[in-house]
Parts: sequence; structure tokens; C-alpha cells
Amino acid sequence: LRRCLISMDIHHMEKSFQGIKTAVQAKDSFQNITILSASETLYNITSSDVCCMTKDVLQFYVDKVFRNHEESDPRIQRGLSTIANSFLHIRNALEQCRSQKNCYCRKETTSKFQLIVRNYEQMEVKAAAIKSLGELDILLSWISRNYQPKATT
Amino acid sequence: DEAVILPAPPDLSVHSTNMKHILTWSPVIVPGETVNYSVEYQGEYERYYTSSHWIPSSWCSSISTPECNVTDDITATVAYNFRVKAILGTQSSAWSTLKELFNRNSTVLTSPRMKIIKDGYHLIVEFEDMGPYFEFNVTYWKKSPNSQELYKIVREGGSLEHLVTMEAGAEYCVKAQTVVEIIERSSAFNQVECIRAQDESHLL
Repeated sequence: LRRCLISMDIHHMEKSFQGIKTAVQAKDSFQNITILSASETLYNITSSDVCCMTKDVLQFYVDKVFRNHEESDPRIQRGLSTIANSFLHIRNALEQCRSQKNCYCRKETTSKFQLIVRNYEQMEVKAAAIKSLGELDILLSWISRNYQPKATT
Repeated sequence: DEAVILPAPPDLSVHSTNMKHILTWSPVIVPGETVNYSVEYQGEYERYYTSSHWIPSSWCSSISTPECNVTDDITATVAYNFRVKAILGTQSSAWSTLKELFNRNSTVLTSPRMKIIKDGYHLIVEFEDMGPYFEFNVTYWKKSPNSQELYKIVREGGSLEHLVTMEAGAEYCVKAQTVVEIIERSSAFNQVECIRAQDESHLL
């Protein structure tokens, strides 16, 4: 098991998203499409590949998703800012973990991540961004399941 | 009458103790007038990825006191910047910003206030409720030659926690520190407190 032990405030992120979830998901006009395709991507990841998948998906959200969504409602801005900055903190911690523990990606995991990117790029940019934001609950629960606070490990 | 040139509020800084973060600045004085202030913030994400983007603070969009509780704005362990402007009627000053960015991992952690209680032979400890981020590392031992230190993590303050069932007449000592997992830091230990269990005869 090559998990990276990271201190993260997953509860606060989930609480932040719950507060804006309805408003964000209401903006998604393609309800029958998924970008994360969780059952084919996230839920099939072995624990040794969790670190790599987390790093790539968080990088994807930071680089593409948050950036391509313009939000005027301050309440939603604050919720998304909490998650975006938390993702940045986790990604920075994973970068350090990578250099220490070879959190490298096996081919199989990389192709699962590529499926997410392909799904995203098949949609118009703003529609894809809002859909990915709406799927944050899927990603956050996956992260929560895979990262235990240090005290309990 | 001549428009008043509103200066940007000076001396902006964050004071943080036990994960409560207060932004303060020096007031802008206009004789006979009430000057209001507006506060906005940027996390590391906004600074690097959407640098022109500032977010209105949760509680301080139009306040008259030169102070703002920004605890609910600082919700990740990254560097944050704040800006404040003065507002008088339709006039606004320029924004002033922090001289140094603020990261919550620099908060001052004080050692915890603790109460130790004996209930019969039971040694019980209680901590103040310091909020959701705080746990307590407790070290306790029987005061006797080559006695062993024991440890316990108390997950939250504001509730009674049983430490040990004491031997009659023995003295027990306790010390504790706070632990904040999300910034990976802990406070100094507090003052050791000791308590003696009743003698066996006392209870008959």
C-alpha cells in the first residue's frame, strides 16, 4: 500500500459543497451525461494507485474545471474557493509525497484518467466545467474513503 | 463642498489564535462622518489561477468597525491575501492589502484549559470546547517511583473523559496539549495538575 498520508479537511470541503450543490447542479443542462464516469474510473482504482489518480484529478480540476467557470454569486464563489484552495493544498502535499514515495502512475490508471479528460473535452468548455463542478460530491466521497486522518491510521 | 479624498485603510494585518483569525486595520477618520469598510480575499488558487479575482468576505461587506472575523473565509491551509477599502457615501478609497500573506498554519496555539475531577476512584478530565479542529493529547501517570506515563487522545472539548480508575490513596498527575490535525501542529503542554484518590478507610 503506497498511500500518502495527508492532513486534509475533507469534512469542511464536503460541507462547503453541500451548501452550493443544488445551485451548481441546477446550472448543468446535460443531466444524463457524466464526465467522471466514476464506475469506470474512480471506483476501479487499486489502493496503490490512489495517490497518482488523486494527484491527476485534482490537477485537472485546478487547471481546467474551476478556471473555466465564472460565478457571480458570492456564496457559490466562497464554496468553490474553499474546495479549489483545498485541492491546491492536497496536490502540493501529493507532489511532495510523489518525490518521496514514488506515487507514480501505472498505465492502467493513466488511461482511466484520460477517459475523464476525453469526456470533458467532448463537451463545450463552460458546460463541461459546470458539469464537473456538479460531480464534486462523487470526487469528494471517493477522496474521503481513500484518505484516513493520520491519527486513525 | 469639496470631495473628501478617502485614504486606503492602513496597517492591515491578521491576528490568529487557536484557529480564530481576525483581520484588523487602522480606521480612516473623516470628522463628523461614519466611514464603512468592505473586505475581500484571495486564496492561493485565486492568486495563481484567476489573479484578478477577489471574493467578498463572508461577514464584512459593509462594516463600520476596523476589524473583521475572517475565520470562515480562511478554509484551506494555503496562503491568503486580504484587501480592504473605505466607503463614504458614493466614494470609495483605493484598496489596501496585506504586507505579508497569511496561512492558518501560523496560528498561535495556546495550551488547553483543563479540569481534573475525581468521581469516587475515577479520574476524569474535561477540556474547554475550542472548536471542531481541536483534539487533546493527554499524558497521565501515578506519582510513584518508576511509574509509567500513559497517553490518551480526547477527540473534542466540552465533555467529561474518564482517564483511569485510581488506587486508594495514590496521587495521579495529568498534563495535556492541543493537537490541530489539519495544520499538523500542536500546542505546548499545559501546567501539570495532580489529584489524590481517597484512602480506602475514608469510603467505609
